[in-house]
Amino acid sequence: MSFLRVGAIARRIAQQFRRDRRSLALLIVAPLAVLALLGYVIRDTKPLDTRLGIVNLAGPPGAAAASAVQVAAKLQGIPVVDVGTDEADARVAIRQDRADLVIVLPPEFTSSSRVVELITLGEAPTDDGARIQAVVGLVSQVGGQGSRPTIQRQTVYGSASATVLDTFAPALIGFFGFFFVFVLTGISFLRERIGGTLERLLATPVRRSEIVIGYSLGFGFFATVQVALILVFALGSINVPAIGPFGSFEIGLGIANAGSPVLAYLVIFLTAIGAVNLAIFLSTFASTELQIIEFIPLVIVPQGLLGGVFWSVHSLPDPLQAVARLLPLTYAIDGLRAVLIRASDLSSSDLQLDLAFLAGVAILFVLLAGATIRREIA
Amino acid sequence: MGVTNLPGGPPGLDSEPARPVIEADGLHKTFGTIRAVDGIDLSLTGGRIYGLLGPNGSGKTTLIRLLAGLARPSSGSISVLGTAMPSRPLLAKIGYMTQGEGLYAELSVWENLSFFAAMSGQRDPDALREILDIVELGDRRTAPVVELSGGMRRRLSLACALVHRPPVIFLDEPTVGVDPVLRYQFWDHFRGLAAAGATLLVSSHVMDEADRCDQLILIRAGRVLDMGTSDEVRRRAGTPDLESAFLKLSGIPGMDGSR
Repeated sequence: MSFLRVGAIARRIAQQFRRDRRSLALLIVAPLAVLALLGYVIRDTKPLDTRLGIVNLAGPPGAAAASAVQVAAKLQGIPVVDVGTDEADARVAIRQDRADLVIVLPPEFTSSSRVVELITLGEAPTDDGARIQAVVGLVSQVGGQGSRPTIQRQTVYGSASATVLDTFAPALIGFFGFFFVFVLTGISFLRERIGGTLERLLATPVRRSEIVIGYSLGFGFFATVQVALILVFALGSINVPAIGPFGSFEIGLGIANAGSPVLAYLVIFLTAIGAVNLAIFLSTFASTELQIIEFIPLVIVPQGLLGGVFWSVHSLPDPLQAVARLLPLTYAIDGLRAVLIRASDLSSSDLQLDLAFLAGVAILFVLLAGATIRREIA
Repeated sequence: MGVTNLPGGPPGLDSEPARPVIEADGLHKTFGTIRAVDGIDLSLTGGRIYGLLGPNGSGKTTLIRLLAGLARPSSGSISVLGTAMPSRPLLAKIGYMTQGEGLYAELSVWENLSFFAAMSGQRDPDALREILDIVELGDRRTAPVVELSGGMRRRLSLACALVHRPPVIFLDEPTVGVDPVLRYQFWDHFRGLAAAGATLLVSSHVMDEADRCDQLILIRAGRVLDMGTSDEVRRRAGTPDLESAFLKLSGIPGMDGSR
């Protein structure tokens, strides 16, 4: 082994880093910035507001229990809202975002056999779990002593047995729809810029808009094919019978899906168009493939942390919530949850907002991307 | 290979001065403090091959990019076929072979050619086959560019620049890495294009290619040193060959014609 050669290779890498200050800065700053953001999010995540509704269907014994819960809630500072007088009204109240959790005292409730129903939204099991934790102390107040009441959980959407996976899936689908197409387009367009093909392309009478739309269609197609496969895998479930030594097994996650796959596809397509054009725009600011990869901690990681993949946006600290509301992935994930879990259709104002924002972002990035493809600077 | 008739008319009939195909007036292009093109006037007529000669970094590529509408001059004006540049629609009538490779490495020869043909508005598959035969890549249609030699890539690059049969052709060092036999055929083809009325501006720093051009434009540091036929340039410089003429015109002492 020649130490001269080993030393020369190590020195050359140091020289390359010295020329590429951005890589060096990122190597040092990016992990700190990401950790700081993560720390901020985790430490300062707000306790969720829980607006409590109480429905008594159990007559006088229930009424006594209901007032006991109400008093206890006041003591703990949990707001109690009017959700009507039966279970259907209560579900509407939750769906319309007037209440977060409703305690129902069912007809079979008696002071000796205490059965209590808790209804939550069922969109994010982690949020529901946190809210149930917050009221479980109140529930034990529902009259009498002795054994704790039996709690039956119900949800407005999905099922009470929904796992984290069920609600995680829409978030991951949104994330993948953005992530891969961003990286692939960025590298592909950078190669056009540095490989001389963009120069040659611009020597033809091609319009900038033709390049941008062509790229959007080309990469948008593959992004949505990818997402279609993920959707099928996530929502479907195919039983493969046993063959020879292999036992039977399931392909697909079989996640409960309430909404229209076509609308989910539309959400992802708009997201992908935005990602393609953001990548074209940012490729102007990179001169090597490495520098495209370096956009990941800048563009992808904050969206992953703040966009609602792991924590719901409304539980973030206020300043970060404001940031999250500017990120396309926030709207992509909300849109996918709206479609796949809440079964929203185009009449839902939430989904309208998500689609409008994603379309607006796509248009903005198309314009930005177009502005960076100029014959003058190619 | 067919070329549409040009306003310049057939070459060599000097009874009536032909209208220039490419005109540049007081052309300047600066990048920061660097004057890449520093006051160039040109008037190039149809049916001729112009050789753009100069050392590395003399401004050849910048001048070609200005004329091809890929850069905007800092000052001065350009017109090609009577249209002020830069003009996007006119690019359909310009063929530009870049100095860099400018090919999609993972695509095949045919896929590259048909892509650039589509971009230039060439829909006729016969035109693609014809130009592939001219650059002798007809039997390599399905080969991916990564598997081609450097010379083959230059040939494909040339084919992509000429596939739409442009009347105005800019070739930036087209024969680099091309073997002598094929180089001869290239120039033969250029001559054929000029005879059909096309205007060619071919850059090179290889002086032995200069004798194949009708007119030479010698540039250095963004300025024109001399312009004329090979004979005129040598006579004015008083040197036996172009290389010496070039060195003498560049004002490099002790290098004038003594070889």
